[in-house]
Amino acid sequence: MGKEPTQEYIQVQINTPRPYRWSTGKYLGKLYKEAKGHKKLVTNRCTKCKELVYPPQMVCGRCKVEAGQDWVEMSDKGTVVQYTYLIFPRWDPHLGEYYASPYPSATILLDSGLYLRSRLEEKDTQKLKRGMRVQAVWKEEGRGRGQDDIEYFRIIEEPEVDK
Amino acid sequence: MTRSLEELEAFVVEGKVTIPMTYSAGAVGSRFLIEMRDNKRIMGMRCSKCNIVYIPPRSTCPDCFAELNEWVEVSDKGTVVTYTVAHQPSPVLPTEPLVVYGIIQLDGAGTGFVHMLGEVKPEELRVGMRVKAVFREERTASILDIKYFRPLK
Repeated sequence: MGKEPTQEYIQVQINTPRPYRWSTGKYLGKLYKEAKGHKKLVTNRCTKCKELVYPPQMVCGRCKVEAGQDWVEMSDKGTVVQYTYLIFPRWDPHLGEYYASPYPSATILLDSGLYLRSRLEEKDTQKLKRGMRVQAVWKEEGRGRGQDDIEYFRIIEEPEVDK
Repeated sequence: MTRSLEELEAFVVEGKVTIPMTYSAGAVGSRFLIEMRDNKRIMGMRCSKCNIVYIPPRSTCPDCFAELNEWVEVSDKGTVVTYTVAHQPSPVLPTEPLVVYGIIQLDGAGTGFVHMLGEVKPEELRVGMRVKAVFREERTASILDIKYFRPLK
């Protein structure tokens, strides 16, 4: 076997984008439409337990009853509950490209009482604090993905909340 | 009963997914692709026990499981065994539609070879027609180094 000349090996590469489309249905569609058209985050409140259902859906997960059509607009301001710093580049399978990285990712309690996980604008870890007041900055051209159309949360000059 | 999407309050999410994939063609597959790229030759692998020339070549005979190493060159001309026409545009198609796929029995080969047929109108297609491989000018050691098979006059 040793006297055979070394041969070239071919790597076959497949890199074809596959487009897809899917219908969200009524409830999730409202969230996506409002986010894309008006840069607003909306969700529905369960008519029985009066808790926010997020993402909006037909059935309340707590009461197992029809959540109803009590639509509420979320505040775009909130408070950082916790945060972390993502260094490993994340692959976005819906776009087929990497997210810009590294970036801080935070759990934000919106003033409307909804917990969101989103990214923060401030990349200096020294300046990040729990209890910071933040405001949503929407993307110029949203993809119509509801919460994902928020580019990041920006720190605003408001008294910090004790968390 | 037709209801518009607007009335249904539906929202359609358009997306695109790209998953880069790379795999090695292996020793036999690589030589097959390199021969097409460098010499415009279509190479097959012969099993002397079963007396079949496999196109594309393979390292093991699927019938007798013998290890194969007898390379043979097959003709770039062949006969259409069957065909189908793809009208629907799809990202997985190698070119824009219409794409005519055919199974071609190359002269000297024992198995059918799946590739595209070109320079032919769908209504002119028939089983048994003689075709010849058309190679690309710029070849990259891909199966698409053969542009398509065109009918022999």
